[in-house]
Amino acid sequence: MGFFHNILLGFQVVLDPTNLLFCFIGVLVGTLVGVLPGIGPVGAIALLLPATFKAPPASTLIMLAGIYYGTQYGGSTTSILVNIPGEATSIITCLDGYQMARQGRAGPALGIAAWGSFIAGTLSIVGLMFIAHLLAGAALRFGPPEYFALLLTGLIILTYLAQYSILKALMMAVVGLLLGNVGLDMMTSLPRFTFGIDDLTDGVNIIPMAMGLFGISEVLSNIDRDLDPHRKILETRISNLWPSLKDWSEAKGAILRGTVIGFCLGMLPGAGAVLSTFISYAVEKRISKHPERFGKGAIEGVAAPESANNAASGAAMVPLLSLGIPTNMTMALLFAALIIHGIQPGPLLIKNHPDIFWGLIASMYLGNVLLLILNLPLIGIWVKVLKVPSQILFPLILLFCLIGAYSVNNSGFDLILMTLFGAVGYLMRRFRYEAAPLILAFVIGPRLEKALRQSLLISQGSFTIFITRPISGIVLGCAFLLLLLNLFPYVKKRRQKLKDVEE
Amino acid sequence: MKTYDQGSSLFWLGLSVYVCVESLRLGVGTLRTPGTGFMSFGGSILLGIFSLALFLQVTIKKGESKVSPAEAPRLWKRVVLVLVALLIYAKVIPLAGYLVSTFLLMGFLFWTVKKQKIWWVLISSSLTTLISYMVFSKWLNCQFPEGFFGF
Repeated sequence: MGFFHNILLGFQVVLDPTNLLFCFIGVLVGTLVGVLPGIGPVGAIALLLPATFKAPPASTLIMLAGIYYGTQYGGSTTSILVNIPGEATSIITCLDGYQMARQGRAGPALGIAAWGSFIAGTLSIVGLMFIAHLLAGAALRFGPPEYFALLLTGLIILTYLAQYSILKALMMAVVGLLLGNVGLDMMTSLPRFTFGIDDLTDGVNIIPMAMGLFGISEVLSNIDRDLDPHRKILETRISNLWPSLKDWSEAKGAILRGTVIGFCLGMLPGAGAVLSTFISYAVEKRISKHPERFGKGAIEGVAAPESANNAASGAAMVPLLSLGIPTNMTMALLFAALIIHGIQPGPLLIKNHPDIFWGLIASMYLGNVLLLILNLPLIGIWVKVLKVPSQILFPLILLFCLIGAYSVNNSGFDLILMTLFGAVGYLMRRFRYEAAPLILAFVIGPRLEKALRQSLLISQGSFTIFITRPISGIVLGCAFLLLLLNLFPYVKKRRQKLKDVEE
Repeated sequence: MKTYDQGSSLFWLGLSVYVCVESLRLGVGTLRTPGTGFMSFGGSILLGIFSLALFLQVTIKKGESKVSPAEAPRLWKRVVLVLVALLIYAKVIPLAGYLVSTFLLMGFLFWTVKKQKIWWVLISSSLTTLISYMVFSKWLNCQFPEGFFGF
């Protein structure tokens, strides 16, 4: 009874006209961002976050989450029509999606991508609803050592899944932890690494930092070469968006398998969503009776990864909402958004703010329906958006980043910070250092430090507290095994293979 | 790539030394009562170890890496120009106000990113500035500085 009551509460929240509007704006902006290469959900959320400061927390979260799962829908359009993935999670969709479009089957490819996304997205919300609730109940029994173990393991998994060197990813995670140290010490209130700058007393602001590392550096990486003024967009008539019965029978298994893979991997920190698209594609190819069709326009090659990335976006909310642990950059920004609104993400979120949790769940159901309605009829408009020349697009992205960073505190210092992080992000891209571990470590750094210091105070300085307590011992053991695994040549080879495919 | 990695690892090593010294100045404390610099001290030690490991890894490795992602900068002057423009914008916006400084910045960006005719640059930057002002300032209530011109 309580469960249905909660669901009803969620729909009551989301059907409020303001929240409906926020949900609509979120999925619309998300789709647009997904279509446009060069700006991702992190940039878009960071940009719109300041605009939500005056809105209620539930509306804010509904909109920002809408942007996130909306991008997964939008990313497939560019992969299929232009052979340019709008997002990293749509890279693999290019292989068969673009081939289908070249064969005049752009309509069914876009259709199955949208339907697969809808089915997977909806199923993943059901999973999120049950698992987050259970996990939050269990997490109430966690103390500082358990939290420290969980946060540290999250960081280790994230670096393990790094696209390039694990060593570099570990270095970036440590740099993120150090950046999280800037500002007042939470226990002694003494300033650390502020260089006498008042604006740094509250620490480094995550919004200019994320916008610099992702938005600005993305633009800089694009303008340091000759721009192609017009992307080559396949001139094809998009018809038959509703897949045929034959298409459905070929794709239905792929959609379900993609959903399961996406949901399971989506809960992992780091590249869970990206990894799930590659694995779901590989699984489909492996079990197919005609693997030779893959890469030449197999509809399963579109259905599986598109389902996987949408299921993963729902699953990524599980650790954030139940444990208060962000697993990717977008979740880190949602984490920041909740903190800004005075809400502590974690096990008590569901109990103390049921309207926010269940409102978000209900909004995701509604958002998926909206996306389906938006995506299929508006594909023509998204194609036109793609034709915006780079010389107009890049200055506009820079302007949006500037406005977004400035609006947080109305401070010129944040603009300087963003520009500096933009330069650092650009150099990091060139030197193949990843920004994801840095941002995540930065976000969870203060909590990690607090958990570590509290644990040491409890144990009177003994590190054995992390091993003797069963949950933290098991969690840390798993993390240690994971690091050890990488020493085995077989695992190393598989990682290298995955990297080659991604490149 | 090898030289780039050697250079970058030395940079991180230098940073770790600086953070380590600063953490000691802040006070590391003891394991029973960790001090203000406790976490940053541990972090700097880890960063130093990882940087050294990377330096040794690339130095000992024979030959160049098969991928060379950090190839010679192509149009790096354009990148530097854009970065300088953004920094100047950050300094100028409180003085000149949103409309004037954004118009100048957008004009510069449209012209720098890809050379265009002057009338195209002027019209585009004016439109962008005015539309963004309407959307963000009037509709979304973002507070932009007015500057000495009063707008």
